[in-house]
Formats: sequence, structure tokens, C-alpha cells
Amino acid sequence: MARAVTPQRKALNTAIAAIVGALIFFPIFWTVLTSFKTEAQAIADPPVWFAFDWTLENYTAVNQRSDYLLHFWNSVVISVGSTLLGLVIAVPAAWAMAFVPGRRTKDILMWMLSTKMLPSVGVLVPIYLLFRQLGLLDTRTGLVIVLTLINLPIIIWMLYTYFREIPGEILEAARMDGANLREEVVHVLLPMAVPGMASTVLLNIILAWNEAFWTLNLTAAKAAPLTAFIASYSSPEGLFYAKLSAASTMAIAPILIMGWFSQKQLVRGLTFGAVK
Amino acid sequence: MATTHARAAARLMISPSVILLLGWMLIPLCMTLYFSVLRYNLLMPGDTPFAGIENYQYFLTDPAFTTALINTLVLVVGVLVVTIVGGTLLALLLDQPMWASGIWRILVIAPFFVMPTVSALVWKNMFMNPVNGLFAHLFKALGLAPFDFLAQAPLLSIIGIVSWQWLPFATLILLTAMQSLDSEQIEAAEMDGAGALSRFRYITIPHLGRAATVVILIETIFLLSVFAEILVTTNGGPGNASTNLTYLIYAESLLRFDVGVGSAGGVVAIILANIVAIFLMRAIGKNLDA
Repeated sequence: MARAVTPQRKALNTAIAAIVGALIFFPIFWTVLTSFKTEAQAIADPPVWFAFDWTLENYTAVNQRSDYLLHFWNSVVISVGSTLLGLVIAVPAAWAMAFVPGRRTKDILMWMLSTKMLPSVGVLVPIYLLFRQLGLLDTRTGLVIVLTLINLPIIIWMLYTYFREIPGEILEAARMDGANLREEVVHVLLPMAVPGMASTVLLNIILAWNEAFWTLNLTAAKAAPLTAFIASYSSPEGLFYAKLSAASTMAIAPILIMGWFSQKQLVRGLTFGAVK
Repeated sequence: MATTHARAAARLMISPSVILLLGWMLIPLCMTLYFSVLRYNLLMPGDTPFAGIENYQYFLTDPAFTTALINTLVLVVGVLVVTIVGGTLLALLLDQPMWASGIWRILVIAPFFVMPTVSALVWKNMFMNPVNGLFAHLFKALGLAPFDFLAQAPLLSIIGIVSWQWLPFATLILLTAMQSLDSEQIEAAEMDGAGALSRFRYITIPHLGRAATVVILIETIFLLSVFAEILVTTNGGPGNASTNLTYLIYAESLLRFDVGVGSAGGVVAIILANIVAIFLMRAIGKNLDA
């Protein structure tokens, strides 16, 4: 039985939530708004809100000036590439642990998790030197490898928690009904596994897209994804707020949209299934 | 009733992941340990003689280490306090009956998806800049002197930026936990005459305990490694005022090219992170049994 709530109370709650939400979201809103201003309007005091000459010149300028598209493409290749590679390695492992659990399954899972606790900076020097030796510095391949290994434990864990929820009896039932292995996999298992796999992919693309330790330390001009490219704005020349805003807006928009779709999975993925 | 055959297949399916992670963990770890006992600077080519504990001695007695250790603690604890307290309040708020709750939740969660370099640069330039930032405009409108956040209160400013990024995470997880709270329990307490405060104190808080523990432990793992935010805002300065352990090791290794000292610092960081990790693993491991 839901407790009765007066409309006034509900309106008050809504108003407070709207104000708090707007405050927290404000820096993002302001960045997007500034990206449509001229550089002079971007730093105007008092700040201009909506009554300015909306312009797309910053987007054009950013795209022309600094190979923005190359860095955007690097981000796409690195985040999608590392996620798919991770998936290929993780699906069999998670599958086996969920459906053929052994005595050591739990230990293996916990050990995999523990590799995630290794602070990146602790292995910065050897990875940097290895990459230099192997010619992997400032290459997309190098970053795909590192990000795959970093996120592999999360991918395995997420898949494992999803796969474990698929009831094994359904497989047996299908087998009894005369389904062969191929039919079993294609018609019974896959449809049940796909949503979990999609959530896993989504969350890991987000994590890889925003990763900002290895991408900053292992890339220079060529393979730098957006995280590293945006960092180059930290030593600005002249007026740059509007251009910074345009570059930032393009960098965060795709991931913001994906993130909003994956709110629920986010909790599960980031807490390793400890909170659902 | 897995057969021996199935077991063998399972082992085969798991092994690529295990081998890769084992390599990823052991190879760099051994190299870090090895480098940490060598006198090895990339700027000085030639021999890399055995140095014993010299690098550790240098790293641990460097005044910058003490500063960085304290800064790391202040940063981690500061952000934890802000995000746990703020996250609990936000979760309580969003858990109330209201219209369009999905929209407000989306607004609150959004900062989590902003890449660290973007949020750091946006805060640094468009808000905290002492001349052109919004805060400067606001201070001027109020007749106050401009305040150079990142120069005068660098660590506090970084705590602010990082808290903004992690507040959504704490909120989201605490909200999820709150929504799984049994409403009948609350109603029963209400009928027994428990006030709103004691309901919160004796039902909600204990229920949130586990979720809060998970938030604290996971955030700690990430917060020990805050890097990009410092790199693009203050470069660890002024002086060492905003240098944390991660940034100090980065500076030793890739700015001063001292592989030996950087590696010794890396080993120290690994040991510190492991202490946190042990507690985290216990919390998560408990859940695995359930």
C-alpha cells in the first residue's frame, strides 16, 4: 500500500529536485551554451545567457584547427576496439564459470578482481619502457591492449553476474525437447544472454572512452584520443573558452547519451554485482 | 553434474583470461620491483648498477613524499565525505514521490560521464579562473575581491572538482540500495510511532550500510589514483601543494626520468592500494556467497 502524498508535498519535492538537478548539471549546460558563443561573449561580464548571436564557428574552428576528427576517431577505435576484444576473451570465461562452476571458481573471480586493484601508477614505468621497446608508444594498438587488460576483470564480472541468472533448467528442457547444441545456443542461450552482453559493452565503452591515465601517458600526437587532446587545452593561447567548450561538448555528448541509457547497469557493473 | 569432459572444456575457456591477467599483473610487477633496486635514470645512459634500498630511502625521505601522502589522504577523505554525505541526501531526495523524477535523476548523474580532462578544464577556466571565470564574475557582482581558487586553495579546488565527478556514483548506488528497502518495514515503524528521524536512523542507515561500504571502497581505489584532474589544473603545484602520490610518481618517472625512484614509488603505491583492496575484497566476497 503506497502512502498517501499530498500534491503540495509532491510539488515541493519536485521543485527541490529540479533546483538541485539544475545546479549539478549547470557546468555541463554552461559548456554547451558557451560553445555557441563568440570568444568575446564567452568571457563577457556579466555573463550572457541566451541573448547572443548563436554561432557554429567554434565547431568549425575546432574541426579545422587540430585534426579533431582524428582524435575523435582514435577515441572510437580505442574504446570500441578494447571492449570488443575484451568481450571475445571474456565471454567464454564468464560462460564457463557461470554454467560449469568448480570449487575454485570463486577464488578465480576474486583474484581477477584483485588485478583491478593494482594502481596503474605502480606499473607505469615498466609499461612505458616496454611500449617504447616494442614501438607501441603513441599507437592505437598499444592503447587497445592496455585498456582491454584493464577492463577485462569488469567485463568478466559483469557477464558472470548476468549469465548466472540464466536458469540452467531451460537448457535441459530444450535438450529434452530434442534441440541439438547449435539450436540450444542460437535459440535458447543467445536471446537470454544478449541483453547482459549489451549492457556490458555499453558500460565498458564509457569507461574506456573516459580513461585518462594511460591515454595521457602513452600517447602523443598520433594516437591521442579525446581525453589527451582536450588536455592540450590546459596551456591556452589567447581567447579559447568557446573553442574549448565546443571541443568538450563534442567529446562528452556521445558518452553522455550512452550513459543515460545504461544507468541501471552502471550500478551493477561498477560494484561488481555487490549492489543491484 | 558437470562431466569431466565439461570441466576440461570449461578450463580451456577460462585459461585465456587467466593467462592474460596473470601476465598483465606479474610481468610489470616484477619489472617494477627489479627497477626499484637499480640506479637507473633515462637521462644518464650507461650502467644501471644495483642500488639496494637507496631509491626507497630517497623516495620515502623526500619531503615531497610526506606532502604527497598527506595530500592523497586529504583528497581521498575529502571527496569521500562530500560524496557520501551529499550522495545520501541526494538519494533521499530522489527517493521521494515527485513528478518527472527520471529527468532530475539524469541531471544529477550526468557529471559521471564527463571525461576527467574535460571536467577539470571546464572548472579551471570557465568557473575558477580569477579573471574570466563565472565565480570571479559572481564575486565581483557581490563586491568581493577575486579569488584565485587553483593558486590559493589548489587542493580544496581539486577536491571540489573530483567530488562533482563522483557525487553521481555515490548517489546512484545509494539510491539503488534505498529503493530496495522494504516499504512495509518503514510503515510498520511508522505505525509503532517512530518519527521520521528515528526511522532514518534505525532503518534506512543500517540498510544503506553495505552499499555505503561498497561506495567508500570503490571510490577509494579510484581516488588514490586521481591524476588527470591534477595534471591539467595545477600540475601538482604551486610547489607541491596539490601533488598526490600518483602525480609524484608520474613526475619522478616521466618528467625527471628517474626509473629507479619512480619504480620504488610505484611499489609503495601498490602496497598502500593493497591495504584498501583487502577490505574491498572482503566486502564483495561476502556478497558472492549470498
